[in-house]
Order: sequence, then C-alpha cells, then structure tokens
Amino acid sequence: MRALGPGSVSSFLKMVLDIVHVGLLVGVAAVGFMAFVDLLFTVNPALLDNVQISDRDQLIQRGPVLLAGLLAAGVYMAGVLVIIGALRRIFATLTVGDPFRPDNVGRLRLIALMLAILELGRYALWLVSAWLPAVHHVRPSFGLTAWFSVLVVLVLAEVFREGARLRREAELTI
Amino acid sequence: MPIRIRLDELLMARRMSLAELADRTGVSTANLTVLKSGEAQAIRFTTLDALCRELGCAPGELLAYEP
Repeated sequence: MRALGPGSVSSFLKMVLDIVHVGLLVGVAAVGFMAFVDLLFTVNPALLDNVQISDRDQLIQRGPVLLAGLLAAGVYMAGVLVIIGALRRIFATLTVGDPFRPDNVGRLRLIALMLAILELGRYALWLVSAWLPAVHHVRPSFGLTAWFSVLVVLVLAEVFREGARLRREAELTI
Repeated sequence: MPIRIRLDELLMARRMSLAELADRTGVSTANLTVLKSGEAQAIRFTTLDALCRELGCAPGELLAYEP
C-alpha cells in the first residue's frame, strides 16, 4: 500500500477531507443562518407573533444567549474549516507525490496557529460560562494534548521547511 | 557565490555551442544554462567529468574562484 501519489492512502485521505470540508461548509452556513434568524427575533420579538411555538417567552428571553452560543459554534466550526482546508491542500500535494513544497510550511504553521486559537477559545468559553449566571456551565478540562499537538505540528512545519530547502538544493544540483 | 563556471569562455575557445555540448555530454541545455548563469548550488562529479571530457579541460580550468 503506497503512502504517496495517485491511488495511495494520501489520495483516500484527501477524499475524506474533501467530504468533511463540504460538511463543515454546510454546517457553518446552517449555523450562520440560524444565528441570523435568532438575531431577527432578538431585535424584533414581534416577528414571533405569527409563529406557533409553546415556549415563546422563554425563547425571547434566551435569544441573546442563544445567539452568542450560535456565534461561538460558528467561529469554532470556521476555525476547524480553516484547519481542514489547509490539510486538504497539503494532502493534494501528497497525492501528486510532491510533499516538500514551500507552501506546505505555511499551511502547517496555519494549522498550528488555528489549533492554539481554538484551544484558547475553549478557555475563553469556560470563563464566559462561569461568569454568566443564566448559562449552562461548561466543565473546564485542561489537557496537554492540544498544546502537544500544536508543538508537533510546528516541528513538522520545520521538517517540511528543511525538506523544501533540500529539494531546492537538489533541483539546483547539476 | 564566488565560484564561477567558465563555460562561456571554454565554449567560445572551442567554437562549440551550448546545444552541441548538451548533446555530447547528455546534460540538458536547461541545466547547462543554470550552470552558466551561476544559479547552480552544486555540481556532480559525473557532470564535471562529462564537461571536462567533452571540453578537453581540467576541472581547474572550468571553475574559477572570484571572491
């Protein structure tokens, strides 16, 4: 079983990433749409007069919190989308059997940055949920896995940078 | 880089074209152009051997050090 090139494990993973990417795009769009609808009802509760729902008052009361939750989910999904997008482009280079392209260094650094931002965002969410009284508290769980992943990806980026340098050197060896 | 390949001078002295040298040595014209322009990072012994053989020169005549 080949790891690189057409018809390899990389091309299979690229296909999986493509599907996940499309799913996330749909997810971000759906969350955005729900946030927009919630924003409309929060700004103008009279719009709910024509809608038949049992807990109308509670919905109006919790509208801003729901909106914040939807926006947080949307931002989180957008962050994951950026990571998946960068991974897709990296795997596209693996599929053609040319991993040590200089572009991949920047993509790996972007992935590390997004992983760090998402982890920090999770901490921010804990703080906000602990601070707001009417919100369901998110249980904090500090783990080193995320930060370990960030460091591993940063090291991989350096490995790719060195690989790209060696490739360039090999290209200019006559 | 202070190392220069004196390909132009040697070709001119032997009235040989770059394409002809490429044909004789088996090194592509594009690679010989990279060598000539000074963009090359390294040269293989096999390339050096082929160039010296076809140009009838020693490596020292092909390479010049100009700091």
